[in-house]
Amino acid sequence: MTAIQELIKEIKNLKPIPAVVHPLLEVVDDPNSGMEDIAKIIQYDPAITAEVLRTANSAFFGLKQPAETIKDAASLLGTEQIIDLVLLKSGARVISGKQPGYDLNEGAMWKYSVSSAIIARQLARQLELPHKNSIFTASLLKDIGKTVLDKFVQDVFEKISNLVINENLTFMEAEKQIIGIDHAELGGMIAKMWKFSPKMVKIIRNHHLSDETMIEDTDIAIVYLADCICMMMGMGVGADGLAYRFHKQAMKQIGITADDITKIIAEFTSKIQEVEDLLQVV
Amino acid sequence: MKHIVGVADMKTSNSIGDTIVTYSLGSCIGVVIYDPIAKAGGILHYMLPDSSIDDAKAKAKPFMFADTGIPRLFKQTYTLGAQKPRIKVFIAGGAEILDQRGFFNIGKRNYMALKKMLFRNNVLIDKQAVGGNVNRTVRLEIGTGHIYVKTSGQGEERI
Repeated sequence: MTAIQELIKEIKNLKPIPAVVHPLLEVVDDPNSGMEDIAKIIQYDPAITAEVLRTANSAFFGLKQPAETIKDAASLLGTEQIIDLVLLKSGARVISGKQPGYDLNEGAMWKYSVSSAIIARQLARQLELPHKNSIFTASLLKDIGKTVLDKFVQDVFEKISNLVINENLTFMEAEKQIIGIDHAELGGMIAKMWKFSPKMVKIIRNHHLSDETMIEDTDIAIVYLADCICMMMGMGVGADGLAYRFHKQAMKQIGITADDITKIIAEFTSKIQEVEDLLQVV
Repeated sequence: MKHIVGVADMKTSNSIGDTIVTYSLGSCIGVVIYDPIAKAGGILHYMLPDSSIDDAKAKAKPFMFADTGIPRLFKQTYTLGAQKPRIKVFIAGGAEILDQRGFFNIGKRNYMALKKMLFRNNVLIDKQAVGGNVNRTVRLEIGTGHIYVKTSGQGEERI
């Protein structure tokens, strides 16, 4: 069996993404939908509903009276907060644990994913894009391919590392050369298998802009830049380090300057404790 | 005791059983200072070169910036008995994404801000592990002054 055949077998064994994510994303980024529609969709998944209510009632949010339904929680904490909790709980199910091949300890990739999703959504808000929750989710799940590629990377780490150091390849280009597939390509396959929209699949597949023509897609440029910002901040960065390419045209595409990025880093850093606290409860 | 320096954070100590560590520097800089006579030292983990972009944030989180963080690291370590002429300085971090050279290179800018500040104050860098595309973690043992750097994908090495 070739490595790619083995990988395809592996992705079929992955824990599935909770089904609630698909209808939720369809509704939340539609300006005509209201809290009732959203609550109805979430309640259709009893496990996620229970988890969201448990977190909403945790000390982190300090509610004076407990929320007994998703509707209660949404009116007490705001609909956006509840959507976030559902997306984060769903993401945590699939992007958890450690990835020793990438030298990532327990929770490091999750922290990286949540940080880049928060920054991506911040950029989407600045640009007033309507589908900021889809961008958030794509950013949250973009490295799903690494969870499967991990043990293959571990087996051939020396070879990958040599190509990065000696041939000036990115870590991902070296993955492709040695294993035959890279984590973004594999992530795209997983997103497709999970029946995400073609748009989400495209973002996950291209989040490192290995195909430069993808820069013209604003959503991809946003997820890409948020990823670069997290790399620079060292948020849960692993063995691949910062060995990816920087495409400055992505900044031009979404119309932000180097100063804007500096401000985003300062803004995120000043809220980092809140993010860490949130990670403790989701 | 192990003290963890978070992002935009600083820790100092003169307790010989202590270790100070900061993880995952990326383009940020870890400034390690140590006085071998006083057995006192500290680590600062800053993210950005210049606080002038946001005065309010610099006040609330001075360790986020080179210009507001570095003086505090030295001053705090002096209060633990360290003296400027004896202080050894080690620098880690300041990495960059490939092809970022010359354009919005935050790692390089972080490093240049530090160099300028140390030069103005007649402080020399003793050793450093700076730049490249790697992620670094740095650890200081207060009792011995030994400094260890872990580079992404590799083991930990004593500098």
